[in-house]
Amino acid sequence: MFYQKYIVIESLIEELHGMDLSNEERHHLSTLLDSSLHHAILDEILSNLSEPDKNVFLLKINQNPDDEKLMEFLNQRIENIEGKIRKVSNDLIKEMHKDIKEAKQK
Amino acid sequence: MNFTSKKPAFEHLRKRWVAKHRTLTNKVLEKHGSIGRQLALGGIGGLMLLATPGTGLLSAPHLLASGGQILKDKDTNILLANELSGKVPKEMRALNPQEDEEIAAILTKNFGFKIAPSLEGKRLNRTYGMIGGEQHLYRYPGDNLFQHGDNAVDFAMYGSAGIAPHLGAWGYFAPSQTEFSEKDKMRERYYIAVQTFLAPGFAERTAEYRDFFKFRKMVVVNPETGQSVVTDIGDAGPAEWTGKHLGGSPEVMNYLGLAEGPRQGAVLYFFIDDPGDTIPLGPVKVKDTQS
Repeated sequence: MFYQKYIVIESLIEELHGMDLSNEERHHLSTLLDSSLHHAILDEILSNLSEPDKNVFLLKINQNPDDEKLMEFLNQRIENIEGKIRKVSNDLIKEMHKDIKEAKQK
Repeated sequence: MNFTSKKPAFEHLRKRWVAKHRTLTNKVLEKHGSIGRQLALGGIGGLMLLATPGTGLLSAPHLLASGGQILKDKDTNILLANELSGKVPKEMRALNPQEDEEIAAILTKNFGFKIAPSLEGKRLNRTYGMIGGEQHLYRYPGDNLFQHGDNAVDFAMYGSAGIAPHLGAWGYFAPSQTEFSEKDKMRERYYIAVQTFLAPGFAERTAEYRDFFKFRKMVVVNPETGQSVVTDIGDAGPAEWTGKHLGGSPEVMNYLGLAEGPRQGAVLYFFIDDPGDTIPLGPVKVKDTQS
C-alpha cells in the first residue's frame, strides 16, 4: 500500500509474536490489524477529499495501490497528509497496544 | 474464519479487534457512500469484509485478489498437476535426460515461456528433488526481519521463519538500504538455494558457473498440486548430508503449498530462458488457454 512507509507496526508485531498463538491465530489477528489500519487511513483520506477527487483517488488506487504517486496526488490536495496518516495510524496502534496488554492479563 | 481457541488472551484480543474493525469499516461505508464501499471492498479491506461476520457484504470471489491467491493458483494449476502425473517418478530420484526434456516441454507449453533443464550448456545436479524451507536472507547492511514484511499479515505468515545468520551466496542483495530496489526485494522474497557446487563442471570453472547461477531464474513446481513459482537462485545449498536438494524462501514454500508441517516436499526445478528479464518473480499460473 502507498501509505506503508508512514505506519510503524513493528512493536505490535513483536507483541503478537511474544504471545502464545498458533500460526492461524496470529494470521487472523494480523489480518484484523492490517485491515483496521487500512480503513482508518481510508476514512482520513476520504474525509479530506472533494467528491471529484475521491473518484480520481478510487481510480488510481484500483490501478496500483502501491503507486507512490498516490501520495503526490494526495499531497497536492490535503495539507500535511503524511502527518495525518501517521497520526491516525499511531492512535489506532496505541489502542491496539492497550488491547494486547489487557489480553495478556486474562 | 471460526476459531475454537480456548486461549483467553487470544479470545479477548480477537473480540476487541473484530469489534474495532467492524466500527472502522462501517464508518467508511456509511460516511463515504459508494466510493467508500468500493474502496473498502478492495484488497485487504475486501478480504476482511468477507471474513467478518455481520457485515452483510459477502460478495464475488474476485475480491479475494490477494489473500485468495494461493487457492486460486492451486485451482488453475491442477491441470498441470494432472498432466505431470505419470511423468514424474513416484520415488525420489534424478530424472533421466528424456524425462527432463518431456517435462520441460510440458512446463513450457503450460506457462508460455521457455523452460529447460540446461542453459548455455550448464545444468544443476538434478531437476527433481526434495525442497526444504529456508529462512529470510539479509538484503542490505543493517537489514532486519521486521523490514521484510509489507504488513502485519506478511509478518504473521513469513516472519516466524526467521532470518539466516549468514549472508546468501552472493552477499547482500544491495550495497545499502538507499540503493535497495524493488527488484532486490523480489529477489530475496522468491529466492531458492540450489546445490550449485554439485553442478557438473562447477569445480573446473567456478567463477564462470558462479556468474551464470547468480540470480538465475528457475521455475519450481509442486507436481502434486501444480502450484508453481518463478524463483531466482539466491543462495547455494543445502549440504548433501541434509538429504534435501534445494531450499526455498518462506514465500516460495508458501506458494508451493509446502509451508506447513515439515516444510518440505518433492518439486521440479528447471531453468527459465529469460534473456530480456521479462518474466516476473512470484507465483505463476498456467496460461489461460490451458484452463
